[in-house]
Amino acid sequence: MSVDIIILFTFIMAALWTVMTRSLLRSAIGLALTSAILSIIMFRLNSPLAAVFELSVCSGLISVLFISTISLTHPLTQKEVLEHMRERLARFWLLPFIVIVLGITLSLIDIRPVIKLPLPETVKDVRVVLWNLRQVDVMGQIIILLTGVFGVVILFKERVKK
Amino acid sequence: MYSSLILLPFLSVIALNLPFRNLMKKLAFVVCLLVLLVQISLIVCPSICIWSNDLDIFGSFLQFNFAVDNLSRVMLFCIGIVLLAALFVQRYIIDDEERIFNFVNVLLLILIGMDGIVMVRDIFSLYIFLEITAVGSFILIGFNKDVDAFEAAFKYIILSVVATVLMLSSIALLLIVSGSTSFSSISDALKTSPDSLLISSAVAIFLCACFIKAGLIPFHGWLADTYSAAPAAVSVLLAGIVTKTVGAYTLIRIVNSVFGFESSINSLLLVIGIISIVIGALAALGQRDFKRMLAYSSISQVGYIILGLGCGTTLGLAGAVFHLFNHSIFKTLLFVNSAAVELETGTTDMNGLSGLSKKMPFTAMTSVVASLSAAGIPPLSGFWSKLIIIMALWMSGFYVYAVIAILASVLTLAYFLSLQRMVFFGRLKEDSANIKEAGLGLMFPALILALIIVAVGLFFPFIINTFILPAGNILGG
Amino acid sequence: MIDKLLLLLLIILPLIAAVKILIIFRKFPKLTEAAALSATLLNLLLAIILFKSEIRFFAPWLGWGLDFSLRLYHFSAFIILAIAGFSFLIALYSVVFMRGKPCLNQFYVYFLLTLAFANGVVLSDNLLILLFFWEGLLLTLFGMIAIGNKNAFQVATKAFIIVGITDLCMMIGIALTGYLSGTMAISQINLPLGGLASLAFILLIIGAISKSGSMPFHSWIPDAAMDAPLPFMALIPAAFEKLLGIYFLTRICLDMFRLNVNSWLSILLMIVGAVTIILAVMMALIQKNYKRLLSYHAISQVGYMILGIGTAVPAGIVGGLFHMINNALYKSCLFLTGGAVEKQTGTTNLEELGGIGSKMPVTFICFIITALSISGVPPFNGFFSKELVYDGALQRGNIFYIIAVLGSFFTAASFLKLGHAAFLGKLQEKNNNVREVSFSMLLPMIVIALLCIVFGVFNYLPLNKLIGPILGESRLGGHNFSGFPVNMKLVVVSVVVLIAALLNHIFAVRVKGSAIKASDHIHHAPVLSAIYDRAEKRFFDPYDIGMNITRKISKVAFLCDKAIDWIYNVLIVKLTFAFTNEIKRLHNGSYSMYLVWSLLGLFLVAAFLVH
Repeated sequence: MSVDIIILFTFIMAALWTVMTRSLLRSAIGLALTSAILSIIMFRLNSPLAAVFELSVCSGLISVLFISTISLTHPLTQKEVLEHMRERLARFWLLPFIVIVLGITLSLIDIRPVIKLPLPETVKDVRVVLWNLRQVDVMGQIIILLTGVFGVVILFKERVKK
Repeated sequence: MYSSLILLPFLSVIALNLPFRNLMKKLAFVVCLLVLLVQISLIVCPSICIWSNDLDIFGSFLQFNFAVDNLSRVMLFCIGIVLLAALFVQRYIIDDEERIFNFVNVLLLILIGMDGIVMVRDIFSLYIFLEITAVGSFILIGFNKDVDAFEAAFKYIILSVVATVLMLSSIALLLIVSGSTSFSSISDALKTSPDSLLISSAVAIFLCACFIKAGLIPFHGWLADTYSAAPAAVSVLLAGIVTKTVGAYTLIRIVNSVFGFESSINSLLLVIGIISIVIGALAALGQRDFKRMLAYSSISQVGYIILGLGCGTTLGLAGAVFHLFNHSIFKTLLFVNSAAVELETGTTDMNGLSGLSKKMPFTAMTSVVASLSAAGIPPLSGFWSKLIIIMALWMSGFYVYAVIAILASVLTLAYFLSLQRMVFFGRLKEDSANIKEAGLGLMFPALILALIIVAVGLFFPFIINTFILPAGNILGG
Repeated sequence: MIDKLLLLLLIILPLIAAVKILIIFRKFPKLTEAAALSATLLNLLLAIILFKSEIRFFAPWLGWGLDFSLRLYHFSAFIILAIAGFSFLIALYSVVFMRGKPCLNQFYVYFLLTLAFANGVVLSDNLLILLFFWEGLLLTLFGMIAIGNKNAFQVATKAFIIVGITDLCMMIGIALTGYLSGTMAISQINLPLGGLASLAFILLIIGAISKSGSMPFHSWIPDAAMDAPLPFMALIPAAFEKLLGIYFLTRICLDMFRLNVNSWLSILLMIVGAVTIILAVMMALIQKNYKRLLSYHAISQVGYMILGIGTAVPAGIVGGLFHMINNALYKSCLFLTGGAVEKQTGTTNLEELGGIGSKMPVTFICFIITALSISGVPPFNGFFSKELVYDGALQRGNIFYIIAVLGSFFTAASFLKLGHAAFLGKLQEKNNNVREVSFSMLLPMIVIALLCIVFGVFNYLPLNKLIGPILGESRLGGHNFSGFPVNMKLVVVSVVVLIAALLNHIFAVRVKGSAIKASDHIHHAPVLSAIYDRAEKRFFDPYDIGMNITRKISKVAFLCDKAIDWIYNVLIVKLTFAFTNEIKRLHNGSYSMYLVWSLLGLFLVAAFLVH
């Protein structure tokens, strides 16, 4: 139990760091970390398939995308950041209210699916899941990472030289 | 046997990046050429593949669950052809060995991605391979590293990420329903479970993700900027096959194998298709940039594919696949020619071009062939596929759509004629006296593609019975 | 297998030669000539090898009965051989005649293409394939006329429009025939006449007789005679067009439709034939130019063939077909003599000629033989075929016979005038240095002239070997048309007519004092002179009449057109561009905007599917 508590706490800390940090790059890395911890939680909850998806998708793919994208932008100065935050506040002050109102409305409508959910899957070893069931996907992810590496090499290496 | 289509490029990439880089840099072009030729020959005559037995060693511990049907074969063939054209174009335009090497690496990875897309039968694997293709395309769009290219790459990645997120959420919802991610089990689960909000929204979200990838209106924002700002070879690649595979093919496969042809999905496809055709054509008419016009024309032509799909009949499906094939070929040809024009004149702005047919007769001629095929002029290949689509619409009772589709092909003719007139015909400008025909490296792929267009048009009865109708017969499979 | 390849080679060989000349030999006239000669020679050899064999070639093409099928049998082999022979001889002639002329290269390209298409027309056993080659001939016809002198382009346009319109009729006819019979394979079509089939018959006939240059589709031929290169005249209007047109006409009348004596269509054909004979020959009579005079005869003689085939009786049909090959022989030879005269004296205007017979004896002799043939003097070939046509015409009605004989009278008269004016009489001073033409120009003339004699004296050769099988035993009904005509009354009448023509000529020359004015008494006869005046001013040219009507219609149409144009060019374009501009305005390049669209689209799609 105590392990779970610690993991959950770390999870929240990672999530907070992701949101609060001002560097986009760090934020993206934080996101990857958060989802990695989330997948650990899923493993602990006996759902290895979901865990593998979470791990591969969020910490793998999306991170590569985000990091590559962010690398294309140039960092803002401190002043610009502050100005940007202020502007954002002025623009989006309505957003929290909308979210709250939407949440209440949705909770009033019953949208729970009427379908029968499949039985929780039997416990599977992560190795079995990864190698026997999801072989193509693992291979695909390796290739994506490879592609990401190529992207960084091709697009950014020479830039740094300049 | 077909898993070698994934393994071969993968091993090539690894081999290319082993030590002896200097040697490998010299070999890169040849290796890529060979890989693509192997793919094409494997599709054209499967009996020649002598390695099918040898690769069983891999099969013993790699259990790739690939299934290849006629639709996949048509796609694999297109992929081979278009990538070959892109490779030639890049090779011709760029001399730098290092850059060719980089390009070849990413091209091979994209090849893996697209081959995977057309062969997998699992929705999550599909997503993975889509991602490979998307990341690879993104790198290539920014390949030239100028501001426009980065902006285009950025737009592409943003909308691609949106599509990714949509697709993932849809997969998650479908996973709730079926508990598995393979096409057949999801399809079964959808048939047995009652119609619910959950399923409908999962379907809607997935379809929208595909629409974004295919660049259909109103999901097309990234397309024109990307096509026009990308380097020439990458435009060839994107317009020729990437968009078609990740968008149109995925849509065909998912609707056909997973969601099934329900009336609501059909009418959605028809509406989106017809909007794309008309607005794409109208937008193309107003463009004054060679590549931008081609980009909007792409939107319009993909609309035809979706329209054929929306019929929900075997004939419509066959027409969609055939048009997909034709569009790959003629759009690749047009982009190769635009690359030639851009290389020789330094611009793709049609206002600055005129009378190029005197200096570049070959390019002008092949462009005319491709344009006429696109506009559906008999006996070129494009005519037959449009005819099949319109016939399918008519036989399914969608008279209004059929009529609009016919009228829109007049618009197609209009913008292609204005393109030909502005770029190739008319008076030659005085300052363009030094322009000459592009070299063999560009003429060769253009010639091959033009020959394919003419040959497919002339031998249409043979083609339709051998390749296209069997591809349409996958209906519901 | 090998014979099928040879069959295809008949079409492919001239095509390849044409392409070779067009692309490779462009700058080398010698090579061009050699290529053309060798291609026509090879073609001739092929035709001889394949003669007497029956071959079918079949390759599925579009489906729905539209297949690439060729068929060689006795009739088509005969025509193929004739075409091959003429094309070789005329190629030989052209080598000298065309040397040094501009557009040499183009001439040979069109020449060989024409040969390929003509072979294709004769061989094809599918109406669609036939139409394809037929239209190909239209293009080469245009090209060959257009490379003549300055006016040639206008004449070419005229020919193109006339032949194009009739080809259009034929196209409709072919569609109709295919619809009625359910097949496009010529050898399988066998339709009874009546109703729609009659319409199809007429439409097809229009195509066939227009190709052979009959009235009222003739008016480009005299113009082309003046402006197009001369070997063209000897090759196309004199030989090829007669062979192809009459070949197709015979196929239509005998094989595809069952034309019989009782049909009004038979009468129609005979009327067309008779009118063509008499009107064209009247025009020929008053011409004062060697080539133009011949060109009217080229039209007039078609009348005999159409009349003969139109009679639908065995004698007439055999006569018509025999006349087709005879006419191709003597008419092309006559044009060749015209070319020889033009080459040596530089003119074909009869007023500037005269007395050159002594300077060019061989040409003169060839002219005499062929002129006697065309006038129908025994024992030359023209006599026998004309007698057969007379026989057929007499069986169907006196009026047709009378017109045909009258035509013969004028033919003889006009050739007496032509020969007298060109070759006899006083030699003009500037022609003192005229010499005989070179051997390779003489050879074709001599060969053809000899053939005229052979086909006359040994007329059982063509009649029994070549023409008999076309009708078949059952249709011939045991008749044997070879040898000297049986009906002596007809022969007597013909001879009397010929003598009358001779007397008329002698009388006229004596009165008017010169050979060239020998036809003036007919030209200036009370009623005729008014008609002739108008004809010379092209009052009766169907092309000009058609053009005038077209011009008036187009004026009215122009007004309607302007209104419709406004809708298309102004209204629709404006609307389109309004839309286009609006769409362009919306694409402002902002990706957040594009994102918003996508999300809106998502909501709409979701709403649509969920509803």
